[in-house]
Amino acid sequence: MRWFRRMFGRRKIIRLGFYGPPNAGKTTLANRIAMDWTGEPVGKVSEIPHETREVQKKERVVVQTKGKKLIMNLLDMPGIATKIDYEDFLKHGLSIDDAQQRAKEATRGVIEAIKWLENVDTALVVMDSTKDPYTQVNITIIGNLEARNIPVIIVANKVDLKDAKPERIQDAFPQHPVVKVSGLKGKNIDSLYEAIAEHSR
Amino acid sequence: MGIEIEFISSEMLDDKNENEKMRFILEKIKKNKILVIEESLSSLEETHLIEETMSQIDEKFSGIEVSTLKERTSGGIRDRLIRFLGGRTGGLTVIGPSRLIKKVKKEPQKILLLAEKKK
Repeated sequence: MRWFRRMFGRRKIIRLGFYGPPNAGKTTLANRIAMDWTGEPVGKVSEIPHETREVQKKERVVVQTKGKKLIMNLLDMPGIATKIDYEDFLKHGLSIDDAQQRAKEATRGVIEAIKWLENVDTALVVMDSTKDPYTQVNITIIGNLEARNIPVIIVANKVDLKDAKPERIQDAFPQHPVVKVSGLKGKNIDSLYEAIAEHSR
Repeated sequence: MGIEIEFISSEMLDDKNENEKMRFILEKIKKNKILVIEESLSSLEETHLIEETMSQIDEKFSGIEVSTLKERTSGGIRDRLIRFLGGRTGGLTVIGPSRLIKKVKKEPQKILLLAEKKK
């Protein structure tokens, strides 16, 4: 049936969700893909956590990879966290009012990202390769996607950094494909497209 | 003042539906307690807990740290069979307020937790 659909069916648009904890580089990666193929970014990036506080979309991004054409709606999700302390934003120079407002918006963003789990066809779970991948948030996101039967591709991001240890991610989640990339430098993004083409439904 | 840790048997949660379970957990955490629960939450329950937590965050409550051992896959055949036969799926969940838990490190077979009360 799959080959029949592939030959005669309408080309499917893949709703590609970018999931992960805050500051893993989701927006940087989404921007890299969007800039390469549409010339426009998806969203703003920042060193301050929770810069993305609502779902950002870039629709009908057409990517060519090894003779295949992928049509994707990029869905850049707010980072998922179990805590959001406005005091953490004060350390980045925000005023109390701005920090509290940012925290409030960030909590709404997390809820929105969770609600969107039902509406993605394939999920990229983006992790920072310099950090311990075996965290409850990563395990919860992946477990949730598995329970919903949504294909998961783990992106070991920031491999350009000196402290990057992407093999730890592979060891922690051997049940899913892991693609090592640098969204910032554009390293190995072609392998990511191939993984999306291979694993998406 | 010390840190209060409450150990909760899975029987205490047996008669609660998911919403009641989340409310029960969060009420205790907001009283600055660390909970050790004699069962692991499923990933779907955990996301529900995160949603509930986010809706309750304010200037006084900044969220939770949570870690589970031996995660259940919600609806897994093995677990459903065990529960159908009246057994328990086991596991362990540690949850506490994020302002109290300074660090939580999870490993496949153990959880390391460092808690400290702000002076």
